[in-house]
Amino acid sequence: METFYDVLRRQGITRRSFLKFCSLTATSLGLGSYFAPRIAHALETKPRTPVIWLHGLECTCCSESFIRSAHPLAKDVVLSMLSLDYDDTLMASAGLQAQACLDETIAKYKGNYILAVEGNPPLNEDGMYCITGGKPFVEELKRVAKDAKAVIAWGACASWGCVQAAKPNPTHAVPIDKVIFDKPIIKVPGCPPIAEVMTAVVTYMLTFDRLPELDRQGRPKMFYGQRIHDKCYRRPHFDAGQFVESWDDEGARKGYCLYKMGCKGPTTYNACSTTRWNDGVSFPIGSGHGCIGCSEDGFWDKGSFYDRVTGIKQFGIEANADKIGGTLAAVTAAGVAVHAGITALTRAKLNHGKGFGKDGSGE
Amino acid sequence: MLLHNSVDTDPRNKDLKSIYIYEAPVRLWHWVMFIAIAVLIVTGLLIAYPPPSTNGEASAHFMFGYIRFAHFTAGYTLAVSWLLRIYWAFVGNDYSRQLFLVPIFNRIWWQEFLYDVKSYLFLHVREIKYSGHNPMAQAAMAFMFTPAAFFMMITGFAMYSEGAGKGSWSDKVFGWVIPLFGQSQDVHTWHHLCMWVIVMFVIVHTYMVMRQDVTTRESIVSTMVSGYRTFKD
Amino acid sequence: MTAYETQGFKLDDSGKRLVVDPVTRIEGHLRVEVNLDKDNVIRNAVSTGTMWRGLEVILKGRDPRDAWAFTERICGVCTGTHALTSVRAVEDALGIDIPENANTIRNIMQLTLYTHDHLVHFYHLHALDWVDVVSALKADPKATAELAQSISSWPMASVGYYRDLQNRIKKFVESGQLGPFMNGYWGNPAYKLPPEANLMAVGHYLQALDFQKEIVKIHTIFGGKNPHPNWLVGGMPCAINVNDTGAVGAINLERLNMVSSIIDQAIEFIDNVYIPDLLAIAGFYKGWLYGGGISGQNVMSYGDIPEHANDYSAKSLQMPRGAIINGDLSKVHEIDLKDPEQIQEGVDHAWYSYPEDTKALHPFDGITSPKFELGPKTKGTKTNVEAFDESAKYSWIKAPRWRGNAMEVGPLARYIIGYAQGNPEFKEPVEKVLKTLNVPVTALFSTLGRTAARGLECSWTVHKLKYYQDKLLTSIKNGDTATANTTKWEPATWPKEARGVGFTEAPRGALGHWIVIKDGKIDNYQAVVPTTWNGSPRDAKGQIGAFEAALMNTPLAKADQPLEILRTLHSFDPCLACSTH
Ligand code: HEM
Ligand code: HEM
Ligand code: NFV
Ligand code: SF4
Ligand code: SF4
Ligand code: F3S
Ligand SMILES: [Mg+2]
Repeated sequence: METFYDVLRRQGITRRSFLKFCSLTATSLGLGSYFAPRIAHALETKPRTPVIWLHGLECTCCSESFIRSAHPLAKDVVLSMLSLDYDDTLMASAGLQAQACLDETIAKYKGNYILAVEGNPPLNEDGMYCITGGKPFVEELKRVAKDAKAVIAWGACASWGCVQAAKPNPTHAVPIDKVIFDKPIIKVPGCPPIAEVMTAVVTYMLTFDRLPELDRQGRPKMFYGQRIHDKCYRRPHFDAGQFVESWDDEGARKGYCLYKMGCKGPTTYNACSTTRWNDGVSFPIGSGHGCIGCSEDGFWDKGSFYDRVTGIKQFGIEANADKIGGTLAAVTAAGVAVHAGITALTRAKLNHGKGFGKDGSGE
Repeated sequence: MLLHNSVDTDPRNKDLKSIYIYEAPVRLWHWVMFIAIAVLIVTGLLIAYPPPSTNGEASAHFMFGYIRFAHFTAGYTLAVSWLLRIYWAFVGNDYSRQLFLVPIFNRIWWQEFLYDVKSYLFLHVREIKYSGHNPMAQAAMAFMFTPAAFFMMITGFAMYSEGAGKGSWSDKVFGWVIPLFGQSQDVHTWHHLCMWVIVMFVIVHTYMVMRQDVTTRESIVSTMVSGYRTFKD
Repeated sequence: MTAYETQGFKLDDSGKRLVVDPVTRIEGHLRVEVNLDKDNVIRNAVSTGTMWRGLEVILKGRDPRDAWAFTERICGVCTGTHALTSVRAVEDALGIDIPENANTIRNIMQLTLYTHDHLVHFYHLHALDWVDVVSALKADPKATAELAQSISSWPMASVGYYRDLQNRIKKFVESGQLGPFMNGYWGNPAYKLPPEANLMAVGHYLQALDFQKEIVKIHTIFGGKNPHPNWLVGGMPCAINVNDTGAVGAINLERLNMVSSIIDQAIEFIDNVYIPDLLAIAGFYKGWLYGGGISGQNVMSYGDIPEHANDYSAKSLQMPRGAIINGDLSKVHEIDLKDPEQIQEGVDHAWYSYPEDTKALHPFDGITSPKFELGPKTKGTKTNVEAFDESAKYSWIKAPRWRGNAMEVGPLARYIIGYAQGNPEFKEPVEKVLKTLNVPVTALFSTLGRTAARGLECSWTVHKLKYYQDKLLTSIKNGDTATANTTKWEPATWPKEARGVGFTEAPRGALGHWIVIKDGKIDNYQAVVPTTWNGSPRDAKGQIGAFEAALMNTPLAKADQPLEILRTLHSFDPCLACSTH
């Protein structure tokens, strides 16, 4: 059986650089040198963990992102680090033979396989908005989750619901944690998530044989602990008050901050501004468009991607805080003005006649 | 404890000319808070709609940074002033608790409340004198302004914690707020929206205190300066 | 039983029903059911799109400037093409002209998508229909290296490389954990490649997997990420600055050089690996000419890659535009996407309801209103379907028609149209391939023809990439750096009501988005997508779509192994998320 170590050796990596890799891994994960030998041992000896990758309502771009991983290479993850025993997008067999792969893996590795979910289940129409093998996908999802060791929720779909769950969510698509309750779920949001973040989450689990530490919303802290904005290279322009005021203006050409163009970097937790995309080449802001917040829950329903002050779902798509609040304040001010007017009038009348107040003095 | 505070219902007050109501810490708090909120509204709006861009090197400017810094400083000031105000509610006089304890189970308070409403609707001329807040003012302060202020502080520090980072005190105390709203952008939206609640309060409040000063027999504005409510009859 | 004839196919559902669900190595959820006669020949084919998300419903009431991001999520495989179609639709509706550079960059984005999508399709979704991985164990590494060196100058073709590769496959197989290769149809007699060709193909499967991630970096540079790069109504969001301070914050020469270098590498890979592999594999299968379906009758292409910004006429479009019906290659019909008589979508056999289900609608009047119901002859229950009843509604895919005809779209359609128009960029490579393989032009109308057209197109796109990259550089050199037109950015500048169409040639074929804007918001949004055309269910007249037609009359080597079914379906590169959206 090929191990992680075999993969590296086969790529011409010497034992010395393998050990160096292990200690670098340990340091980059903040574990200190003590862990390096343990990592090395784990990588040298462990057999490949079976993975079942299910697809629900989705656009398959999480898979597409995954195969773009540069370090480690997707092919090494899929063929050497783990055993991708079921994944309709890549597997050779189809139909009955594919279903058999699924059944065999569940039976053979009960409680020991990882379930990776891309997309999500719809609940309306008895789940028949996503049919697999003639049955609702949600049934397959629950069946496979039952005997899984852990569940990975790939992307915004599995983590939050994503575009199909955007208003009015006609299929009643739900994130997987609304139907899987008894398993640890690691959410790796993004639309899609960054390839190297995806493979890092997987390798973390294989390397350390434990789940990554999660934040309050179930995301690995190591990649989702900070906002795009916290480490954005345009941040000095933000602090200086230098903004792109309109597309392709002077500021855009100088790489000013995209805040006024609706950048959601200040409210989006993801690794884009540090890890960057596609082997570190760029990320949305790096190429001139604001972050649209694609790793955040419900980012589709926060109003236009180009609005700084975004809409309020509860009050309909049109409204935002200033439309609502500003109107109320204006009405209040107008009310006050009218009230003041009437007060003045009444007082004038009273002064004219018998006076105002107990003593009739008008005060 | 003070259940209701029309001066007239107590026969002993018949010839009352002045009472000491707002102790110094309350007055100080009020004006510190006034300044803080004014700064928060102005800088908050600038955070939402930044001024035109500066020119030159980013390193030569910190314009937006200062705006945000002013907001956060005022935010801290507001929060600290409220902490002291809460403390004072325990040790201060009866009036210092009016902001937090509304005698909603007291029939007379409700009668006076209705009486007030009617007088504001010009249905009759108000004849009652109050020592502390009149019931309507008290209701607005306790049920509108105080919750709104807390909402702003909770959401404000929750957003502040995002910059301060995981493990900061604000994250530990207020970090849970973000997922409660859905996500960070929602917190911004609600924080922004609630600003308008405060703006509305301030508009009405300022109008009312001035109006009362002119139209009723009690001193109002000067009370928040001197602490004494004086009666003109 | 029901037997009837349509489009020259005799549909007969009396034989044994074979169900393939899931159809794998495609995007999304597809199921096919076929009836086999006693010789295991397909006599009835039923293809069902088994997922629906409702993007058209979700888009209602939203800001048209945001629509690209929503529609882009229709599909992560043909990522970007829906976004491009969407911004074009909005620009058409609002009368927005984009700068020349934006047009060029959009072409570069689109050509990058084709190149990537076709490459990944061929190696990672389609190859295993032709390549027997297990047979590669029997190959002689030396002979494999010779074979590889004989067909191209690609350097990674040494004996050592193939010996090492074979050892790795051996080790992998011995591990007992076959992963994605588990339960494959290894050893099926329909596999025709000798062991050496199989081993070479496995090597290129892995090399292509490594290489594909490089190509998409072009999207990353101009669009910030891939999948799902960013777009902009009115141009492109990536500002250009090659001279001034701050250029490092924009598209500068370092970025442009990176694009150039990736294009050069891509040309190398496509011309030295993909094309030779395609020809080598095709050489072994040229006797297997099933799967033509309706490609010899009705094909359609909207055309794409406008040479001039804002000119979407056939003259400006570098990809062929037109429709051929009834196999008459002498006449290429002009297409008008706004003509209510031309493109119409029906729901007679699809899980939607119209005021009148039998009456198809033009997309401007399109309605998307789901209605899941099963026909009386369905086998099984609502939530456990054993066999669908194709005489009733049976798919989440609508049935689009052009002047009442089912059409095939995609690379083959584009090449047939280009060929029929006598466009040398398309005709010459086709003739060269036909000559190399020594097959008649009718061989084009087949599964293999589709696969070959895709390969040729990949070579066309990668060379066009270089052309547009040079064009961009020239434009910048001449001092033009504009990338966006913002005069109509603010909704206040828009008319109260507007409607527009955007179209592209997506990798899988003709793609159109129809938008109706009212009071600054989307009032109706309809997408008619390549796989909607190809995967179409029957229409009210009983006409079948391209998938179903292509499966007809194909013999299976083994009745319980759907290898030939996969082969033909894969030749379309089905995308189900696209088809239903
Ligand atoms: C009366 C009280 C307050 C008012 C009226 C106010 C107003 C505002 C407004 C209008 C915004 C812009 C929101 C947006 O559209 O994104 C804002 C942002 C913010 N406020 Fe407040 N605020 C108040 C209190 C506080 C407090 C107590 C804090 C605590 C430190 C605070 C912290 C923040 C933070 C962190 C932001 C986000 C800044 C950024 O994203 O750069 N605010 N505030
Ligand atoms: C940001 C603006 C302001 C806020 C948030 C605010 C808030 C408050 C609150 C909460 C109280 C009740 C204090 C307590 O019960 O302990 C109060 C009382 C008072 N405020 Fe303000 N205030 C503001 C501005 C002003 C201004 C501009 C004036 C003067 C023109 C003013 C005059 C008064 C007076 C006179 C009282 C006492 C009312 C009474 O005796 O019933 N306030 N204010
Ligand atoms: N069909 C389709 Fe697409 C393509 N090509 C889009 O328009 O794949 Ni997802
Ligand atoms: S999360 Fe986004 S990228 Fe991933 S499948 Fe869903 S829509 Fe596609
Ligand atoms: S571009 Fe966006 S993420 Fe970057 S500093 Fe500006 S607002 Fe923050
Ligand atoms: S849009 Fe998504 S890709 Fe990153 S920069 Fe924002 S989270
Ligand atoms: Mg449609």
